Amino acid sequence: MKSMKTVLLAAIAGTAFAMSGFVATAKAEGAKIFVIGGKADDPFWSIVKRGAEDAGKVVAAQGGSVTWLAPQNYDNLGVDAAELIRQAIAQGATAVVGPDWVPDAMDPAFKAVVDAKIPLVIYNAGGLEAADRLHAMNYVGAVDYLGGVAGGEYLAKAGNKDGVCINSLPGAANIEAYCKGFVDGMTKAGGKAAVLPLPATAEGNVTAVSQAIKAYLVEHPTVNAVFTTANLDAIGSVQGIAEAGKAGAVKVCGINFDEGILAQISAGTQACAIDQQGYQQGYYAVSILNGYVNYGLSIPTREILTGPGVVDATNIASTMVGAKQGTR
Amino acid sequence: MAAHIKKQEIARSGGPAEVWSSLAAVARRPEAGSLLGLIVVYVFFAVLGGYTFLGLTGWSSWLNMAAEIGIIALPVGLLMIAGDLDISVGAVLPASSLTVAIISGYYDMPDYVGIAAGLTIGLAVGLINGLLVTFTRIPSLIITIGTMFVVMGLSLGFTIMIKGSTGVFIIPDPFTKSLLGTAMGGMFRVGILWWLAFIVVLYYFLHLSPWGNWVFAFGGDRESARNAGIPTKKLTLQLYMLSGFSAAFVGVMQVIANGSAQVAAGSSFIFNSIMCVVIGGVLLTGGAGSVIGIVVGTMTFAIVNQGIFYSGLDPNFGSIIIGALLLVAVMSNDKFRSLALSFTVKKEVRAQT
Repeated sequence: MKSMKTVLLAAIAGTAFAMSGFVATAKAEGAKIFVIGGKADDPFWSIVKRGAEDAGKVVAAQGGSVTWLAPQNYDNLGVDAAELIRQAIAQGATAVVGPDWVPDAMDPAFKAVVDAKIPLVIYNAGGLEAADRLHAMNYVGAVDYLGGVAGGEYLAKAGNKDGVCINSLPGAANIEAYCKGFVDGMTKAGGKAAVLPLPATAEGNVTAVSQAIKAYLVEHPTVNAVFTTANLDAIGSVQGIAEAGKAGAVKVCGINFDEGILAQISAGTQACAIDQQGYQQGYYAVSILNGYVNYGLSIPTREILTGPGVVDATNIASTMVGAKQGTR
Repeated sequence: MAAHIKKQEIARSGGPAEVWSSLAAVARRPEAGSLLGLIVVYVFFAVLGGYTFLGLTGWSSWLNMAAEIGIIALPVGLLMIAGDLDISVGAVLPASSLTVAIISGYYDMPDYVGIAAGLTIGLAVGLINGLLVTFTRIPSLIITIGTMFVVMGLSLGFTIMIKGSTGVFIIPDPFTKSLLGTAMGGMFRVGILWWLAFIVVLYYFLHLSPWGNWVFAFGGDRESARNAGIPTKKLTLQLYMLSGFSAAFVGVMQVIANGSAQVAAGSSFIFNSIMCVVIGGVLLTGGAGSVIGIVVGTMTFAIVNQGIFYSGLDPNFGSIIIGALLLVAVMSNDKFRSLALSFTVKKEVRAQT
């Protein structure tokens, strides 16, 4: 293990050394940072993009640029994202930020980035494990599984020990991890939980989601904790709980939030939201690379965790201010 | 005793053949096959789901879902009877939700202003669809896929430009909420009543007014319909504006009920509405179908979707059950229709010999 670490350090040092000549030439024009991310119409990714763009103001002031690359849709995510990474190399990126959504499809493209001596930061998905495997500088993001655990523990500690995780995108790795984390978090805190997968006909349809949750709660009368992995699902859950006549008895906690969710938290119909603080992911990933490319600066802390943060009645006010400005 | 005599009288006067032929007349109605499908599906889930599914909770579950899809499926069905498709409903729905939320939520104008604007967007997209379909030779499937993407892009672009994020929020005033987004008895959404209103109005137009005959004639044979003096261009415009309006109406209901409009919502309504129409016995080639059939098809679809959660079946296999039961419903539908039609033929042959 120790020798592995030495090899790794040597590799990083080697990369840095190889970069130094490059850095000198790049300084004049600043960093050309390419960020691979989700669709701009995705409520979560628009906030990550905002963080990257805000950090991009400093990059621009130092003569560089930040370019956001996103797939047209999520139908063929791994292959499309790998293509975007290769596009970034082809367009002369001096630094690349990307999420390791589908390692099998994307790892070869990330390796091409490292092989071309372009500094790489993995963010949002993949964890430190991916950053180590790909010899990336760092990982910036939350660990999905831990987000689920935080939600499970929060609800179980509040006394709601029989839970269900609503999975509206069965098969998606991050949703599966949230749900697994939730089940483990509940179990660890002395409760139990199941996972409810929803059919594709309910996708993006709040009414269908709310009726499914109502049905589930009526069929499983002991369940008193609901965990959601999408904003619209949390809104549907609160409606479903009310229509099942269980408002107040069944508590809701969800991954991510928007103004609608915050309104639910301040109204007391939703107990908490788990935040992976997407703004920080875009912001720090871009900042770290900008400092490194321009001035050789580094952040020695490896694995910059941006979550899980819990939003509940105690910190709802300041969170709402951020939400109004599109940063939370 | 009296009943016994009556039965004998019927047997004497008309004979079993007459009873059969009147039954066949019912069976030949376009919605008969889909009604059979509905009964099969309902009994299937009633057996598995028991009292909760049969009770008010179960009914509210599938009626709430059916009402929203139903309001869109009705005009989409009319378009399909006329031989056209409308894919853009999946983009009009969120566009209308977002318009309401931006005008009445973000800019804080009165609710009715936002709602009027949202519905106008639906009418406008419908008008554009109708004009493109009438004045080009491109199939309506392609045209409405095109307008769908354009509307999606406009929704995203303007929402980001105005709001800076992809979700827009609104707190509707109590009157608007009670009219469009409340649950009666805490369970049955007011949308069910709106669906009923749509059913009554469209039933009148399709089956009782001459306009309906035009729709069937247009779907059956376009050239002849035009030659017979039916204002086919006007008819196409009206049908597309109707489907745009209906999709926008559901968008309005959703944003009032949820207090939240998202750019990414609505796309599941495209296939869901077409499925409801096809289960309801509308021919994909146009020219045949009925409002009652579309309503029955929508109910079947919603019962299958919600029934799974009452049935105790593993929800991991939910999509299989939805797919399989829908296919069975459509097949029994077709089988039933051909059986009913073959019965007529036989009878005529016998009469001739």
